[in-house]
Amino acid sequence: MISARALSRRFGQRIAVDDVTLAVAQGEIVALLGPNGAGKTTTMRMLAGLIAPTSGTVTIDGVLLARATGSALRSRIGFLTEAPGLWDRLTVRENLRIYAGLYALAHPQRVVDSAIETFGLAPYASTRAAELSKGLRQKIALARAMLHVPSILLLDEPTSGLDPEVTRSVRGMLDERRQAGCAVLVSTHNLDEAERLADRVAVLQTRLLALDRPAALRQRLTTGRVIARVAGDGAAYLNTARAFDRAASIDGGAIVLSLPQGDRDTPAFVRALVAAGADVLEIRPEVPALEEVYLHLMADDARASAVQS
Amino acid sequence: MIRLRALLEKELLDVARNRAVLLPVAIAAVVFLVLPFVIAIVIPAVTGESLGDDAGLARVSLLMGPHEDLSTTGRVQLFVFQQFLIVFLLMPVTGAMALAAHAIVGEKQARTLEPLLATPLTTLELLTAKVLGALIPTLALSAAGLVAYALIIAGSAEPGVIAAMLGPRTLILALAVGPTCALVSLQMAIVISSRVNDPRTAQQFGVLIVAPVTALVLAQISGSLWLSGRALGFLALGLFALWILLMFVSVALFEREAILTRWR
Repeated sequence: MISARALSRRFGQRIAVDDVTLAVAQGEIVALLGPNGAGKTTTMRMLAGLIAPTSGTVTIDGVLLARATGSALRSRIGFLTEAPGLWDRLTVRENLRIYAGLYALAHPQRVVDSAIETFGLAPYASTRAAELSKGLRQKIALARAMLHVPSILLLDEPTSGLDPEVTRSVRGMLDERRQAGCAVLVSTHNLDEAERLADRVAVLQTRLLALDRPAALRQRLTTGRVIARVAGDGAAYLNTARAFDRAASIDGGAIVLSLPQGDRDTPAFVRALVAAGADVLEIRPEVPALEEVYLHLMADDARASAVQS
Repeated sequence: MIRLRALLEKELLDVARNRAVLLPVAIAAVVFLVLPFVIAIVIPAVTGESLGDDAGLARVSLLMGPHEDLSTTGRVQLFVFQQFLIVFLLMPVTGAMALAAHAIVGEKQARTLEPLLATPLTTLELLTAKVLGALIPTLALSAAGLVAYALIIAGSAEPGVIAAMLGPRTLILALAVGPTCALVSLQMAIVISSRVNDPRTAQQFGVLIVAPVTALVLAQISGSLWLSGRALGFLALGLFALWILLMFVSVALFEREAILTRWR
């Protein structure tokens, strides 16, 4: 488990990260969302012990991350940096073998062979890193981060530059690591990826704006409206809907209306539609996408900052 | 130790894949192999004038001691070969300076430093591997040059010169003074490399490090400074102690938790 408590980092007068408290438990994936310059990479670097926080603490499996404990604790972390950072003149195999040595792994050759196979790197094993595409370099960096089977994974934009097929396999690998009890923190711009992959989502804009399950975050913006899809054009049943909500409307052929007392009104509304001759295909609450929640949080933060200044 | 060895392997592989970086050292080795023979053997043979006939050279060569087993010409040859031996031993300093100056700031610019610092590698291991990674290739080239130097002296100089060359003074120079002088210089270059943000700046500072070493060599060649075997032994010990001290200074100045974000 990795946790940050009141983590802050200043660069001169600029505050990069302000009072961030979060924890990633074993067997959990947390997605760190935020716009460019929100402090995601700085947070990741502080969690990995690469830069010291101005204030606050990081603990890994209950041990405080400090200069004296740094070397031992870093061996438990797999860190995918923002840039792949491969040694260009070395081959893929050599890059991985050197890192196996840096983690003092007992059977480096075996571990490297296994990583090459798992990540589908066999055709490129003897190719120098400089000659590889951006996506392949990212894949090798990912293999490098997982080489020592760490209990904590900190991944800065892991699927950046990867094609959809590889992206899917990376998600699969992260899911496997979660199943194996690994604590995973993933920074991403990809909201869809965050929603699919993460158990919880942290929205960062210098400070932590939200930290919750994706469904719970969406719930925050729930409107109480219901969407009803019927066979044919929904407009034919608009009057039926307006008996429940005068403001009911049609959106893309579906009926949209507010049912403030959903438990009581929804079955009544369905019965009214059926009585009017409608073939009801679907009734569901209108739930905002994570993207809308994210943009809403960002807009709120911008307004709050404007008021403060 | 495993981690240090792993990073050292990377450094050596990197140099092996970029051999051009050692080309100036190889060229210097050839020049310093040829030059003393031109001075001590070829020019006297062409002009027909023996080195021993030059009163000035004969007098200055006495700095090494009388060497009664050698003729005057042999003694002057020995003197010339001894002077160039110093140049040879200091070649790793100048040759590896570019490698050492580039060592940390180069990794930072290539963005390979961050994943490296995310491993359990300690700062001491990192800096030691960087110094040794710069030193070993040039030291190997220099050692090969020295062997060739000794073989050519044995084959072309006056009888007894090679035996006189291979005395304790030469061994101290070759096995102690040369490597420790290189270690100190390269360690200083590594300190600079970890404090600047541009390899060119590091190399400019490297020139400053090489300057005193060059002055020492010039003083040797001109005969204005002659260090005895005992003095050289103390010099090597002093240099080794200085290297240890510099290593700790390097670790203290490295600022592991700030280096990635320091761009000024």
